[in-house]
Amino acid sequence: MTTTITTRNFFRLDYGGKLERQITKLITAFEKLQFDTGRYPQRWLAIKLLEADADILARVQNMPNGTQIIALAGQGAEHLKSMLGDDVDLLTADRRYGYINGIVRQSLHRPLIDRITFTDRVDDIVTHKWLGLPVFFTVMYIVFRLVIDVSAPFLDWTDAVINGSFANWMRFFLDLVSAPAWTRSLVIDGIIAGVGGILVFVPGLLILYFFLALLEDSGYMSRAAFVMDRFMRVVGLHGKSFIPMILGFGCAVPAVYATRTIASRRDRVLTALLVPLMSCSARLPVYVVFGLAFFGSRAGTVIWTLYALGIVVAMLAGMVFTRTILKPDVSSAFVLELPPYRRPAFKSVLIHMWENTREFVRKAGTTILLVSLMMWLLLNLPWGVTRQRDSYFGQFSAAISPVFAPLGFGNWETGGALVTGFMAKEIVVSTMSQIYLGDEAAEPIATTTLGEDLLGIGQGLKEATLSSGKILLSILPGVELVNEATEQEDTVLSLALRERFTSLSAAALLVFVLLYVPCVATLGAIKHEFGTSWAVTSAIYQTAVAWIVSFIIYQGGLLLGLG
Amino acid sequence: MLTQLVNLLENKENGLSLSEISRVMKAQPSAVLCMLDLLVQKGKLLEFGPDGKCCTSCGVQSECNLLAVRGKRYIVRRINS
Repeated sequence: MTTTITTRNFFRLDYGGKLERQITKLITAFEKLQFDTGRYPQRWLAIKLLEADADILARVQNMPNGTQIIALAGQGAEHLKSMLGDDVDLLTADRRYGYINGIVRQSLHRPLIDRITFTDRVDDIVTHKWLGLPVFFTVMYIVFRLVIDVSAPFLDWTDAVINGSFANWMRFFLDLVSAPAWTRSLVIDGIIAGVGGILVFVPGLLILYFFLALLEDSGYMSRAAFVMDRFMRVVGLHGKSFIPMILGFGCAVPAVYATRTIASRRDRVLTALLVPLMSCSARLPVYVVFGLAFFGSRAGTVIWTLYALGIVVAMLAGMVFTRTILKPDVSSAFVLELPPYRRPAFKSVLIHMWENTREFVRKAGTTILLVSLMMWLLLNLPWGVTRQRDSYFGQFSAAISPVFAPLGFGNWETGGALVTGFMAKEIVVSTMSQIYLGDEAAEPIATTTLGEDLLGIGQGLKEATLSSGKILLSILPGVELVNEATEQEDTVLSLALRERFTSLSAAALLVFVLLYVPCVATLGAIKHEFGTSWAVTSAIYQTAVAWIVSFIIYQGGLLLGLG
Repeated sequence: MLTQLVNLLENKENGLSLSEISRVMKAQPSAVLCMLDLLVQKGKLLEFGPDGKCCTSCGVQSECNLLAVRGKRYIVRRINS
């Protein structure tokens, strides 16, 4: 059965005189050659043949008289091309688009909007081939300057509350219950000096997470990943690796688990080996303590340099691994969604700050508390020891300290602090607090009432808020609210550190803390994901790199006369 | 429309991006993109990446981030190119 469809009642687009004449000519040829078009409308088939539609040509070829019809259509198409200068399919498409455009213009009125959106304009700069990386590093620099400068007054205030008022209340309470001397020492020298020494940094972390949340929620973080993706491919890394690396700025443990998103095992292993080189937030307390003690107003720059150094060393290590034990396999593409820029939601930023800081505080109440108790025990064994240097901890630390002597920090206190830092990096500070501030309890304490203490805390918070506000405003060009000479206050720990370190040896130590063996939790994550051998590799190579880089910095500095 | 589009690009030495073309032609980018694809397919236009490299020679252009962010540029194919 043959179905004939007439096109008489259907809409017909006028393709113009010359084209229409060729269409009519071909339809006439269909009838003259008694060519049965079957289920295809004659006009439609004529147009398709003139357009040289490959599918239709193949079908017509097999139909009776098909070859003759195709030859006629070919001649017609050639004729049109010679007259109109284009293939027929382009001519017909042009007519169709023109017709559609005409209908749209008559029936639809769109408001005139600028199609270059705000996101387009910003992305033109932040994802630019050459400007992208400098913009990224400038943003990170500003963030770390803000974190250090704005949080400094709050750090002083928290230090005063924990090691001042709170420690005094505990002493008073322990005296009240006639606690034995060892209990007093355990609480004041062990728990408050250790855990308190870490909790002091909570305001700094809150401010760090606040700015990181702003960057993430605004949409800039994914641009940073995009910019770094291109940079990382240059040094033989996978583009997806930057996502775990960004997480690594917070904590290396989730970052190691985040490598699961990478398809290739080789890329996963390589990323996990490099993630601990991204400076995690646990290292920040060490940077802040040494930064403020030795570099004053340049502390922000020093800390930013450490973060940048971590990235650079990771890149170099990636290049070395790629050319040695982790040669690249087949590369897969990195697909990244770049959301439009948005104003960060205040609630979301608060949640981000709270969740990350809560984890830090939780660790202070568990791991750091446990290590602080162990530290206190080891610093007081054998029982009755009077000099910390003679304690078990002191003896062990003294035995390993010569390893660090060429790096400028060969004293037993630092050696011991670095060993305990293996448990968690912030413990380096808590151990130093315990060692250097351990004798503080013996010092006479100014007697104050509870009311005076609470008033002092409130007054201190008010002053810290005002100081931070002034510092924040001083960042604006032309605003001078802070006297550079008076903005920093020396803490007891700062003074103790200055007796044992120079600026050069402090810099070498900061680099060592940045690069040396990842904490035990990170190594556990690497072992869990990739096995013991990669965890051991990570520990050994990072410690070796840390020692070499610190050695170069310290000895190079001495040669240049910086020591 | 296609002729108008080719004429527009004729005068642009460094070509134009999709958003620039759609802005000049006062048409939706999705509508213009179909026309551009057809003209590229017919060899009338050449598409280049934002870094000036020819996208047609790249096998992973559908997954290219640079392209996703900054878009292709289109130029008229000269007879001798």
